[in-house]
Amino acid sequence: MSYALQTLWHERARYASGVLAVTFSAVLIALQCGLMLGLFKITSIPIDNTTADIWVGSTAVPSVDLGKPIPMSYLSRVQGTPGVTSVEPYIANFANFTRASGGTELCFLLAGQIDHGSAGAAVPLSREQLDALTLPNSIIVDESDLKRLGLDGGEGKAKINGKDVKLVGTVKGLKSLAAPWVFCSLHTARHLLGFLLPPDHVTYLLARCESPARAKEVVAELKERHAGDMGAYTAEEFSTGSRLYWLLRTKAGIAIGYAALLGLVVGSVITAQTLYSATAANAKEFAILLALGIPRWRISLMVLMQSFWVGIVGIVLSYPACLALKAAARQVGADVDLRWEVLAGTAVVTVGMALVSGLFALRSVRQIEPMTLLR
Amino acid sequence: MRWAGSSSTPSLKGVKLVRTFGDGTTRRAALQVVDIDLFPGQLALLMGPSGSGKSTLLAVLSGLLQPDSGQVLADDDGTLRDVWALTDKEREQYRRKHAGFIFQGYNLFPALTARQQLEIVLKWGEGAGPAAAKTRADEMLDKLGLAKNRHKKPAQLSGGEKQRVAIGRALVKNPSFMFADEPTSALDWENGQKVIELLRDAAHQRGASVLCVSHDHRLLPFVDVYYHLDDGRLERRALPSE
Repeated sequence: MSYALQTLWHERARYASGVLAVTFSAVLIALQCGLMLGLFKITSIPIDNTTADIWVGSTAVPSVDLGKPIPMSYLSRVQGTPGVTSVEPYIANFANFTRASGGTELCFLLAGQIDHGSAGAAVPLSREQLDALTLPNSIIVDESDLKRLGLDGGEGKAKINGKDVKLVGTVKGLKSLAAPWVFCSLHTARHLLGFLLPPDHVTYLLARCESPARAKEVVAELKERHAGDMGAYTAEEFSTGSRLYWLLRTKAGIAIGYAALLGLVVGSVITAQTLYSATAANAKEFAILLALGIPRWRISLMVLMQSFWVGIVGIVLSYPACLALKAAARQVGADVDLRWEVLAGTAVVTVGMALVSGLFALRSVRQIEPMTLLR
Repeated sequence: MRWAGSSSTPSLKGVKLVRTFGDGTTRRAALQVVDIDLFPGQLALLMGPSGSGKSTLLAVLSGLLQPDSGQVLADDDGTLRDVWALTDKEREQYRRKHAGFIFQGYNLFPALTARQQLEIVLKWGEGAGPAAAKTRADEMLDKLGLAKNRHKKPAQLSGGEKQRVAIGRALVKNPSFMFADEPTSALDWENGQKVIELLRDAAHQRGASVLCVSHDHRLLPFVDVYYHLDDGRLERRALPSE
């Protein structure tokens, strides 16, 4: 075991505040980022809950809710591309929802083929629910949106774009951020949208490929051939793009960034102070080494090693804390997305913070003088 | 066994050393033109009242405190070199190569074992490998009667044992000069006696020049030469046996 780590363990009470400060910073950063990613997952729900490999839409669609209508005739273009196994139309469009009790709400229609197993059928919908959607003007919404849409009982009929609709079922886990998702058949969507969607147009074409790897090649080929009037995206890139678009558009990243920065500043100040006082407490022992001719940089290196280990121990402690808080957040319906990129990024940033704190603590090493040992 | 080297040539010479502290009315001369010769294989005791400049002289001779004027000539592989004409880096190298220190406080790292207190000096000072550092540290601890205490941390050692570990830390690199500042004042006489015997062994058996600063007159029978410093002026005095 290194002298630095040994000292850390022996004097753990002294270093505890620094370690806890690192843990606090790491938990704050990881949870903030995880919450943000969890929150913005909502924006890519239509993509993440269908089974297409490729989404074809208008050019340069920044997010799945911002696609413009494209002619159905593009279907043959996609179908004719080698590697594509099936293509089907998909409609995704905003609409006005009028509650039975009065008042309106913006909603977002999602309509694909409602055959079981089709690429556009939302995965959480059961076979029975898909069958139910074959009825004209029938819709399905997430149960968390029932109250908001006035569909939680009561008299009267709800309308979309002034046309009567009938709720035939609910799903779980497809929450909305701004406009509630409303699932229906292509036929119903065309009826409800009317002139808002030109005849023989759809919003997207969903394609499946021989393999996910093939999908990338197909997308590249479609982009090359039809760059001027058609956009093609793999499901993965379209999902990430949609999340990023709303993340940047809403400036939520800045708020998260500030919170994380605050955590870093608080953490680094406490860690630096801990390391400074711990080094000052060992000043006489270090002074002896200096008197014996040991270069000051060796002592500085030991302090930096201590700061490194403070960072590592803090990170290790933060992991179970993050998992516990993620579980607690799930209890209240919030999704914390602790993907490996978040955890790795947090680890790098906080260990870096601990090392920077170590650099600040080095001023206590500079103050050590062997002369102080003489009476 | 008495060290058989020549003792006619000093290994460390202080020449016309002057050192003052403070300015103006608070100016005080800690050393007023002090000359001193230390010889290899010799244990020298430096005594004097509090504030007489004993620790200042030790610091100047050991390369820790720069004198206002005068020279400190130290034997570096057969050549006398002025310690205070060296650059800071060269002086650090000189101390690393030649100087060992013992202070009243043991100043041992609380987290490290007795063996590690010695190893750190060899690894960080000489770049010794782990195996060589361990062997040399253990040999030194064995000589100091601390074989059973290798794995103990300072909190598990008595005051006398701690001071012996501190002596081991100073001796493990086999220094030419040993500087001890009040090494026995925190110990009872039994342990103090062991410490002065170890310092005498460092001189007589290893050939080191040892300078020990102390208030304790009981050390006189153990030393080879006795200096008295009062008000910044040094005087060599006869030992009781002389």
